[in-house]
Amino acid sequence: MNSAARKILVSCAAASGVLAFLFISPNIGYAIQPHVAEPTAWWVWMILLFAFSFILGIFSVLAGVGGGVLFVPIVSGFFPFHLDFIRGAGLLVALSGALSAGAPLMRKGLADLKLGLPMALVGSISSIAGALAGLAMPANVVQLLLGVAIMFIAALMMKSRAYGTPDLKKPDALSQMLQISGIYYEESTKSDVSWQIHRTPLGLFLFMIIGFIGGMFGMGAGWANVPVFNMLMGVPLKVAVATSGLVLSINGAAAAWVYIFKGAVVPLIAVPAIGGIMLGSKIGAKLLTKVNTRSVRLVVIIMLVVAGLRSFLKGLGI
Amino acid sequence: MSDKEKKSESIDKVQLVYARVLEMVSHVGMAFLAIGYLVYVLQLLPLSVPIDAIAGNWHLKASEMQQKLHTPAGWSIISSPAALFKGDVVSYLSIYYLAMATVVCLVFASVTFYREKNYLYTTIAVLQVVVLLVAASGVIH
Repeated sequence: MNSAARKILVSCAAASGVLAFLFISPNIGYAIQPHVAEPTAWWVWMILLFAFSFILGIFSVLAGVGGGVLFVPIVSGFFPFHLDFIRGAGLLVALSGALSAGAPLMRKGLADLKLGLPMALVGSISSIAGALAGLAMPANVVQLLLGVAIMFIAALMMKSRAYGTPDLKKPDALSQMLQISGIYYEESTKSDVSWQIHRTPLGLFLFMIIGFIGGMFGMGAGWANVPVFNMLMGVPLKVAVATSGLVLSINGAAAAWVYIFKGAVVPLIAVPAIGGIMLGSKIGAKLLTKVNTRSVRLVVIIMLVVAGLRSFLKGLGI
Repeated sequence: MSDKEKKSESIDKVQLVYARVLEMVSHVGMAFLAIGYLVYVLQLLPLSVPIDAIAGNWHLKASEMQQKLHTPAGWSIISSPAALFKGDVVSYLSIYYLAMATVVCLVFASVTFYREKNYLYTTIAVLQVVVLLVAASGVIH
């Protein structure tokens, strides 16, 4: 067995472990209506949360999704924290990841300010609204909707086929007015790639919706930002992924303040989650070239389906 | 120099400024987060709410926990200068710093856009700063 295959096997084994834990110990987590006093020492939960976030960080990078999208549904599945605190931590996880990865991507011209800022402006306003709506709703309703959203994301990941550099003939009037176009250096072809965009009004509308969903569920929204940039607006994939991080860092910050003021951000929970995901992401980035990312992506899709289903059933009180 | 080259140069300058500021604030932020957490969980400073109390009630809704434990939220954590010497407050502040990092980057980007005479993006960046500051002020909650 070669080294890459071994790594895939280890990855799959780790994911299977997570899934088994989800199934075998359904009563460990009780994010909605826990009634039992917590017997386990707090620091044990913190170590578990850090270790779990670390594994999620590895998987999120290998699967090409943000840590936030995995964090909220899976952690709410079997950690004893209320969903409010998990969503607060989830937003900070997404925000921190985007902040730490942002600078090199900006320098390379991959994260584009002129593309990201208009989308972030509408997205941040709606993410505040989403956060307010999410915190006002009963937890079981949020959990149910979260389940639906996660299964939709899994379906989107299964179906979507990203385009490296979409062939775009003519930019639309709004994108020209907003001066949105760019050039970046493509290392694989050793050439400059120039790009422009279209369908900007529809893109702005969708970023508003994505912002609302991201704020409501405390998730990063890379899963939605990237397809909208790439498949709808014609942004090259690398620019789409990098600029999605910029949008996330702004939308996440706006919604995070709502959670902070509602008392839904607890450092005891948020910091180990951030630390674990960020450390795991760094390891994941190193493994990226050595592991079969398609297999890992499949494992993550399965994890999302299970977590989504579990969240949905919990929302129904089952 | 063509218009496209001029435009590309202008974008690069703003992006470079944003990247430089982002790198600095995010590095400081991560260090602050780690140090703040250690101060908190190792209880190197007194706490405003004991960790065991948080752990005993983290299954409650945020509003219920706040009501029960009177946990600080928003800027009320620094109700007095003495509060700055509480371990949990230091950890809270490290999170607030992280949430404010984007604002700092955007302020620098706004100024650079303005110097480039790009008034459209100066306006967009300033509006974005306003949205984030309004969120951070707590007036809409």
